[in-house]
Amino acid sequence: MSAQAQPILEVQNLAKHFGGVHAVDGVSFTVGRGSITGLIGPNGAGKSTALNVIGGYLPPSSGTVRFDGVDVTGKPMHALARAGLVRTFQLARVFGNLTALENLLVAAPRQRGETARGVLGGRAYWGSQEKEFVAEAKQLMKGFGMEGKEDEYGRNLSGGQKRAVETMRALMMKPKLLLLDEPMAGLSPSLSHQLEEMFLKLRDEGLSLLLVEHELDTIERVCSKVVVMAQGKVISEGEMAELRTRKNVQDAYVIG
Amino acid sequence: MTTGQEFYLVVLLVYLGTNLLAAWGLNLEFGVAGIANLAYIVTIAAGAYTYAVCTLGPSSNHSGFQQYIGGYTLPFPVAVGAGALGGVVAGVLIGITGLKRLRPDYQAVVMLVISLMAVTVVSADQGLLNGNSGLALIPGPFSDQDPEVFRWAYVGIVALACVAGFFVLRRFTTGPIGRTLRAMRDDEYAAAAVGKDIVLLRLMVQAVGGAFGGLSGALLVAFIGGWNPGAWAYVETLALLTAVIVGGVGNDRGVTVGTFVIATLLLQGLQFLPEITAREGLKQDLGWILLGTLTIAFIWLRPQGIFPERRPKYGGQSP
Repeated sequence: MSAQAQPILEVQNLAKHFGGVHAVDGVSFTVGRGSITGLIGPNGAGKSTALNVIGGYLPPSSGTVRFDGVDVTGKPMHALARAGLVRTFQLARVFGNLTALENLLVAAPRQRGETARGVLGGRAYWGSQEKEFVAEAKQLMKGFGMEGKEDEYGRNLSGGQKRAVETMRALMMKPKLLLLDEPMAGLSPSLSHQLEEMFLKLRDEGLSLLLVEHELDTIERVCSKVVVMAQGKVISEGEMAELRTRKNVQDAYVIG
Repeated sequence: MTTGQEFYLVVLLVYLGTNLLAAWGLNLEFGVAGIANLAYIVTIAAGAYTYAVCTLGPSSNHSGFQQYIGGYTLPFPVAVGAGALGGVVAGVLIGITGLKRLRPDYQAVVMLVISLMAVTVVSADQGLLNGNSGLALIPGPFSDQDPEVFRWAYVGIVALACVAGFFVLRRFTTGPIGRTLRAMRDDEYAAAAVGKDIVLLRLMVQAVGGAFGGLSGALLVAFIGGWNPGAWAYVETLALLTAVIVGGVGNDRGVTVGTFVIATLLLQGLQFLPEITAREGLKQDLGWILLGTLTIAFIWLRPQGIFPERRPKYGGQSP
């Protein structure tokens, strides 16, 4: 038997305090390579805060985050994103004055047009790479059933479309680990089913996902492992089907 | 055309050119990158003062008439380059204050305060840049030439700077980098989440925008020959901002038209109103009232300006 592959994400004793409020209070868990891990819990459990700290949006009060074997605790969001740890936001944040397709293009990694040489050299230097990005972005939009919406401004998209754009934008970066904060919220049942399929497909292609989600049926269908948080702490860990039967998990959801 | 009319035309053109450079730089910062730099005029002043001390020669030459730091006699192109560089330094210093994670409106207030502080410091310190009286007798190029020739040659220089400036500007406002800056403007955090280094981008924008301001100030002061704190009060930034808002925030061509309409047609047109002796400075006050009214009217009724920002279309069809 080969040695167990190192997890893509290792969170250890992570804490985030806002004054006296211990929003995240010593949380430890791992996300396996090429797996989908769910992070669930009642409102106010600290899931989003944990995600914000892991993703570099907030500095931690204490604890460590290791990504792909490297200590990335407290690294800024853009550095993590470039390293392959990409997050989405709970409320979809699209670039309103860019078109849907441009929202995806912005996220393309290592753009020649953003370098000093690209700015000086102009299209002659970055044109062909840009063409590839455009084709890739169009392909993604097709896969998400948003063909024909390429030139629509971000501000004019519906809530579900914004969410889809945000997910596609994250995928455009070719991440190793995706942190998704309630990606299904506000999506139509058919689109969220499509998204589920997409996640499974991406997982099979080697992407790892950490999913914060309220829809427990979705979690049960796609996640191999589920971490349950309540009041800033991890209270349980395991498979969803089994977690449903645990007393402390039920209590956390009922009592809050 | 009489000599007076000809001279007036030259003045209009030089003012238009230097205003264009400044408005483009401010539009890059505010319109494209979303940095509400209300201290933008400071970059223009930095360019003007830098040019002045690079061309005036030693302060002692003026036998106490004016005092200032530095004092060199550099050739015109070098001094203009130094002016642009002065704008870069001022722009980056202003930009650093905006790096703290503050709400954009608070950042704008911080920058407004910087603008006020800069004027106060320069006015108060006589030895720095001759205080409130400012600098005079600043030499332009070809000062030993026939003024008739000089004037039109200078219009040519400014025009050349504008053409080159617009070319450089477009390199930053279009293509992938322009898209990235606009993304940062729309949502800084989302831009960071897709790998954009906001600190670096903001400082780059402040440097480039500052270069435009510095160039504008240097070219202006080489023409008019004098510069004092009254020329760069904080409200001057608001005049440029009006041109940006009226023309079209984030749209280079719109801002070009906006600058022509506001700076040339409107503010110069006001000068043709009859003089009212009972109320001195009425024309100038009217100008500010008009600018303020226009800004409010456009923000309410047409926030996108005369020429709205347009993004490239890629068509709905897959390749």
